[in-house]
Amino acid sequence: MTMFAALGVSASGLRAFRSWLDSVSDNLSNLNTVRPMNEAAYQARYVQATADPAGGVMVTAVRFGDPTGVVVSDPTNPLADANGFVRRPDIDMNEQMTSLLIAQRGYQANIAAVERVRDAYQQALTIGK
Amino acid sequence: MSIPPISTVASGATSLRPERMATAGSGTGDGFGDLVTSALNNVSATQNNADQLANKAAVGQLSDPHEYMIAATEASLATELTVAVRNRAVEAFNDIMRMTV
Repeated sequence: MTMFAALGVSASGLRAFRSWLDSVSDNLSNLNTVRPMNEAAYQARYVQATADPAGGVMVTAVRFGDPTGVVVSDPTNPLADANGFVRRPDIDMNEQMTSLLIAQRGYQANIAAVERVRDAYQQALTIGK
Repeated sequence: MSIPPISTVASGATSLRPERMATAGSGTGDGFGDLVTSALNNVSATQNNADQLANKAAVGQLSDPHEYMIAATEASLATELTVAVRNRAVEAFNDIMRMTV
């Protein structure tokens, strides 16, 4: 890793953005997951990224959203309690879509960095030719 | 398809190294042969890493596609670097051999 350090740094960025993409996909797929009142609502997943002192970034934790969710009245739902309430996840779709865009662009930016670094190293090998 | 690892070649590189080279070199005592050997070992390690990831990709155990691509890029860069260094060394050797005495 010491020889081509820049590649390792970009790899850590790719890893972080990939796990962010994973969590956003998870949140979007559970947008309509309804839970009964006596259970916790689906909790949105948020990755926590921390700068690595040795260079790069690492995902240090996955944080979860509000377990209360959004309590809505849906008496026809089979999961509804005696009062007709169910828990829906407290996920803002706009926020998730924005996160999705940022994560995707971040992933692409890291790939672009890998390509430039590779080109730079290859150019270095042609010095003096 | 199996390609013999470079480490077997690397072990041969030390035997090729003339003994005088190590003493005639700088104060550290590392001859060019040692340098090439350690470089080849490094290349071998990166290629092994890339091979393992390629295997994982083939059997469907690779969770991150970019891990393999970066390992493969690293392996190819390390190989190119070692080959470039070797070419330069051979070039220098040939220049000296062509010298008229």
